[in-house]
Amino acid sequence: MKIYQFVLFIAIASIFQSCIKDDFVKDFVEPVLRITTPLDTMQINTNFQFEKMFLNNIGSEITVDAIWTSSDASTISITEGGLATALQEGAATIFATFQDGDEIYQDAVIVHVGATTTINLQMTNGSIATTSSYALQGDFIFEETIGGVKLTFADNYQASTALPGLFVYLSNNANSIANAYEIGAVEVFNGSHTYDISNVGFSDYQYLLYFCKPFNVKVGDGDL
Amino acid sequence: MKNLAIIAIIMLGLTSSVFGGGPWPQPKGNGYFKLSEWWTVFDQHYTDTGNIDPNVTTGIFNTAFYGEYGITNRLTTTINANLLSRNYMNNLKSQTTQEVIVPGEAINTFGDVDLGIKYGLTKQGQLPLSISLILGIPTGKTNAGSFGNLATGDGEFNQILQIDTGFGFKIGKNISAYASGYAAINNRTKEFSEEFRYGIEAGIGLLKNRVWLTSKLNVVESFKNGATAETVTSTSIFANNTEFSSIAFEANIYVTKNIGVSLGTAGAMRGEIIAAAPSYSIGVFYDMNK
Repeated sequence: MKIYQFVLFIAIASIFQSCIKDDFVKDFVEPVLRITTPLDTMQINTNFQFEKMFLNNIGSEITVDAIWTSSDASTISITEGGLATALQEGAATIFATFQDGDEIYQDAVIVHVGATTTINLQMTNGSIATTSSYALQGDFIFEETIGGVKLTFADNYQASTALPGLFVYLSNNANSIANAYEIGAVEVFNGSHTYDISNVGFSDYQYLLYFCKPFNVKVGDGDL
Repeated sequence: MKNLAIIAIIMLGLTSSVFGGGPWPQPKGNGYFKLSEWWTVFDQHYTDTGNIDPNVTTGIFNTAFYGEYGITNRLTTTINANLLSRNYMNNLKSQTTQEVIVPGEAINTFGDVDLGIKYGLTKQGQLPLSISLILGIPTGKTNAGSFGNLATGDGEFNQILQIDTGFGFKIGKNISAYASGYAAINNRTKEFSEEFRYGIEAGIGLLKNRVWLTSKLNVVESFKNGATAETVTSTSIFANNTEFSSIAFEANIYVTKNIGVSLGTAGAMRGEIIAAAPSYSIGVFYDMNK
């Protein structure tokens, strides 16, 4: 009879083992405050509303009341809410500051005052690399467009075809696709290709992530 | 998993008994039947490069019935049916906020079924040699769950042609033993790659053959002639191009003349596109030959 009791014990133990439990993602990131307005020059005697975003300790955007200040209020004055006025030709550094308890978060941009308002479309070069055993590599250009961003991969791009459901994301957390922007399923596994992404700002995301979505496996990433 | 040396892999289609099988057909009217629970829980897997990567903890539990029955002294029918199969994935939570990022899911359904016939090619006194045709019936579920990531079967129809040989012998005067080997071709449908399978098995009987200790080496080599993610978007292709070499150990203990229990585990030496974790099995068998 003891052998049957042992079998029963193992069977019951296996049933308990079959319950859904929790896995944890190490997703802590340092909170950051970003000025997201790519303003280079303000036209004299005009107003401009600056924008910012605050990303918490998992890279998720939350609304905070930052205070805006100017290094030279006689050149560019700014309200606490971020509405700037260009008063005379020159340059000033615009600060956004948010205090959370003892922690102070700040970002700054240098803005010139001139004859016309100039917003520069930004661009950066980068590369993706595998963080797993699956192949992923390639160089890319990430650039701002009118109304969005464009991601262009070079000829040296290569991704593994062994994974089902390989997706590409924009994220503010290198280890998590929670709160990430899902660009879409990977359909090109070799060679150059382009993603045109609407309604996403150049400074909205920090990482390009490749994830096997169905099985929650991170495949690789790149800095934007 | 710290001890990679004990990483095991088991493919759903190779969960049949180590103790059953071999080149010996069942005598007419006799059979061997086994009801077992087989399971593996894995948080890492072998990738297409043969290295090991982490994944969300996934569990597969199969309640399986395995049977062999002799139609004639040379012709035996076989069945390996996963009567209840459970596949689950854990919740994925933020370590920072404890919030759920991706909720876990589970399915509980019938699994795949293998039906086969085995024919003994040689007469008594000659080296046992048999040929088998095994049909893998895709009765399990595929592409279940929110992301199509849960399955209790691979969703494709198999036709396996297998040849077995082996021999029994004595170690000393009282210890019975046997050794056998097999080779098989697995023809698969739905753009799955064909496979070449082979293995060897050995066992010894102790305590007047009331306890049998067996071990088996299984190897699966994929022809890699099937679909990839480049051409198919289904998550079931993740079970495609699977390869592995695994070692299984099993103890079969007769508690009466015909009835016994079996305990088994399996471990791997290498793998591609397959779970990387130990698997276990426990079952009760009925052997009509005793």
